[in-house]
Amino acid sequence: MSDLIKISALDYVKKVRSGETTATEFLYKTLDRIRDMEPKLHSYLLLNDDVISRAEEIDQRIKTGQKVGRCLGMPISLKDNLCVKNGRTTCASKMLENYVAPYDATVVARLRAEDAIFVGKTNMDEFAMGLTTEFSAFGASRNPWNVDYVPGGSSGGSAAATAAFECVASLGSDTGGSVRNPASFCSVVGYKPTYGLISRYGLVSYANSIEQVGPITRTVSDAAFILNMIAGKDENDDTTIDDGDVDYLEGIDDDGAVEGIRVGVIKEMMGQDTDPQVAAATRRAVSDLEQMGAICEEISMDMIMHSVAAYYVVTAAEAESNLARYDNLRYGYDLPMDGYELKAYVEEARGRFGPEVARRMIVGGFVSSSGHAGRYYLKALKVKSKLTREIGDVLTRHDILVAPTVPIMPFRIGEKSDDPVGLFMIDLNTVTANLTGRPSISVPYALSEEALPIGVQMISDVMQDKLLLRVARALEMRTSLPEVPL
Amino acid sequence: MVSEKEIEEISKLMRIKIMDRHEYVDKVHEMINFFDVLDSAGAIEEDLDVRKVPISCLREDRHVAFDGVLIDELKHYKNGYVRAPRMN
Repeated sequence: MSDLIKISALDYVKKVRSGETTATEFLYKTLDRIRDMEPKLHSYLLLNDDVISRAEEIDQRIKTGQKVGRCLGMPISLKDNLCVKNGRTTCASKMLENYVAPYDATVVARLRAEDAIFVGKTNMDEFAMGLTTEFSAFGASRNPWNVDYVPGGSSGGSAAATAAFECVASLGSDTGGSVRNPASFCSVVGYKPTYGLISRYGLVSYANSIEQVGPITRTVSDAAFILNMIAGKDENDDTTIDDGDVDYLEGIDDDGAVEGIRVGVIKEMMGQDTDPQVAAATRRAVSDLEQMGAICEEISMDMIMHSVAAYYVVTAAEAESNLARYDNLRYGYDLPMDGYELKAYVEEARGRFGPEVARRMIVGGFVSSSGHAGRYYLKALKVKSKLTREIGDVLTRHDILVAPTVPIMPFRIGEKSDDPVGLFMIDLNTVTANLTGRPSISVPYALSEEALPIGVQMISDVMQDKLLLRVARALEMRTSLPEVPL
Repeated sequence: MVSEKEIEEISKLMRIKIMDRHEYVDKVHEMINFFDVLDSAGAIEEDLDVRKVPISCLREDRHVAFDGVLIDELKHYKNGYVRAPRMN
């Protein structure tokens, strides 16, 4: 493998701008790497076949002094639930196997305008429902740190591809930890912004009220760099926020970012079910923050213990509503309709949903149905409100909250896939940021005795993304991790 | 406690065929029972957190024509009609 492709996004920009490499040379090396890695990792569902001509065209513009976007031909991958005009967007589902999107997602259009090159669409749990990437209809992805282990999910393909140098960065989506969880399992940075900071237009909907697009990168600075290009108001997404063109990269390397900040370590996210190696790494991270001048103390949030149930009720209800459109008349695979009446046809079409998606749809239908909505859905919304009030209160006294990203270590493929409720609890530490709209980031921090990655999660208040990124960058600079072994 | 009959009825209404009983009913049952933890959250008196958007902040309500060939993407489109299965 060429050392050239191991660089960060910011180093890529420097090297292409200085003429040390070209977009085309870098792309060829990245495609070589993808060819070598894909049989082992299966990070990608689809590779783009017109990328070389695009890189050559960008190089020509650089050479002749014409205007070039900030990405300068950087190879970026996209989770396969982000629409790319005239490209397939499958959501890793048989239901959308041949769906061709007629428009670009806003994040895709913004990166395209900055001359990013989309090398391919990455693997994921079907419709983003899962946290291992095992629920992809097209086969599981594998963890580049040990290919017998899951890469996390649902944006597992994006995290594996970024960690294994199959792209410089990737965009994923995070509904309950789907960017941060695989980032932690693959030793890369995963960042979920404040709800509304990044447009969801063109992201295939799962649970609209809490999901966000988020970058997966090799460094915290790279996440800030990408955020600068994709954040802000979008008239196609009414939930987006005008961030006033904040420069998230400015001052990110400043010394003293942590001096005097108040850090709360969330007790309920480091309970008895937390793996001892994960807990120890988190305590070391807290100690690092203290050494940099942070004032750290343990805090308690009662509602955390109810957050996972609330999360699954809300997401199942929204998923059931969103997936109702899959009747095979507007989307879906090619099922001849002769011999069917409408109900039987729709039932046959929905048979293409994988078992996890079908289960969650049934759960969503149940918890929001007449006679049960009060007991489940309404109660979940009230827990969500109480949790939001609780974290708002905590964040008046603390600037940053810290916890393990995932309470357990990466596990073997197939080890937990038959235990849906067991899998639920792996989301314990990540769903709070989604349910409350707070920004959150996973920073690669340590390796276990078995050489498996451990990430540390930080959460800040709404629209305090710049502070969050600065503190995350400070922690990142305190640790030095080995390169991925593949 | 949720009954299996209720789960089967919901599946039927949602037009999701249950092929493997263990794959669906038992696991869905397990998932729904897990949600009982919400009963002990003490959130009954909580006000719902509702996002309010002033009308002035909404975009103008006007027709914007799609500039692509969206209708051509439909699979069963012919002579200005979308074909659907017969209805009983």
